[in-house]
Amino acid sequence: MLQKPLFWLSICVLISSAVLAYPLYVIQPFRFQGPRELAFSLALIRFRPIIEIALLGAALTLCWFSWHQARGALRKAAASACALIVVVFAVLSHINVYELMFHPIDRPTFSPAAGAKLDGGEEVIAVHIGTAARAYPVRSMSYHHIVNDMLGGLPIVATY
Amino acid sequence: MFQRKIDGIELRFHLAGINNQNFLMRDEQTGTYWQQITGKAISGPLAGHSLPLVSADELTFALWKLEQPQGTVLNDVARYAADYAPEDWDAKTAKVPTVLSYAEAGLKPRDLMLGVRAFGASRAFPFVAVLKEKLIQDRVGAEPIAIVVGGDERSVRVFRRRIPGSSEVADFYRIGRGGTSARPKQVNTNALLMDGQTGSEWNFQGCATAGKLRGLCLEPVSVIKDYWFDWRNYNPETTVYGIKQRIH
Repeated sequence: MLQKPLFWLSICVLISSAVLAYPLYVIQPFRFQGPRELAFSLALIRFRPIIEIALLGAALTLCWFSWHQARGALRKAAASACALIVVVFAVLSHINVYELMFHPIDRPTFSPAAGAKLDGGEEVIAVHIGTAARAYPVRSMSYHHIVNDMLGGLPIVATY
Repeated sequence: MFQRKIDGIELRFHLAGINNQNFLMRDEQTGTYWQQITGKAISGPLAGHSLPLVSADELTFALWKLEQPQGTVLNDVARYAADYAPEDWDAKTAKVPTVLSYAEAGLKPRDLMLGVRAFGASRAFPFVAVLKEKLIQDRVGAEPIAIVVGGDERSVRVFRRRIPGSSEVADFYRIGRGGTSARPKQVNTNALLMDGQTGSEWNFQGCATAGKLRGLCLEPVSVIKDYWFDWRNYNPETTVYGIKQRIH
């Protein structure tokens, strides 16, 4: 393996990019998701930080070897580039595109019913727990989709 | 709407993906992925768990405010408010293509349905039919239920038709005066229904306000508004109101 560090480095790049690209390919809004490909993609997303760290370790080791075997600046540069790509992918593996795009509400604030500036015909999602009642306007829920909330002492999540 | 505490862990959710156009949530605490429509964990340490359902209504603000004058309303988040849904959001979304389509019942993928999953069965009621008929007396599984449109001509609730404390099934008719505005400012707060057995009057909360049964309330049944394709995907055994043949 250490005789051909550049070859194995490119394998590292290939695997680390596939680990990132496959879930992006499967989990698209306008693509049908089969149950097995979805399960595999979600498992991949959950475990990819570990996979990417392992690949990063391998890539840095291989890069170090190719520098010490030192056959031409071009090879050294290529090895470094490969290692750098794996570093970038390892960082990206912690990012979920959807979590960047959408903005759930974590610290919701409220107005009393009498003072709320809503049109009477606007739709709300209404919930009550004991004597505590709350309304979530559909207009904002269709943007935020998720509100991590508390009502009547109970932690609830409003979804739309 | 769900509780977000499982096994003593309070979970905080992110929107983390999509599964055939129903979104996936990821909780920060365990990294588990949850399906929004069902509240089921589909991948991760809590896979197999379900978030306990919290019953919720879809109402117009005018009607809700009359029922819950002491309630509180979620505020807009100023930073994002400019991007919130415009007035014609419903019409725009209706045109967005879907990846699933179940044409068996002659329904289009984005037809709005009121779905009831209860009494060991699933049944879907086309929203337009409900708004038009204003009172539907039907069964979900073997259980007699009533679907009632509120005094705002827009909000919908479902109740069991059994009269509390007896085995008798009520036969209702509609007595409320109906408005015609799609975006009403005025909500008719009069009783909406009368039962054929005792002539008692019933309101949109499912409670008798006059007559022999005054003070009794019908048991509410959870209902969700969903697109046909999504409802059908998660309720493959569903039947559809107004359509005789068995689907699938």
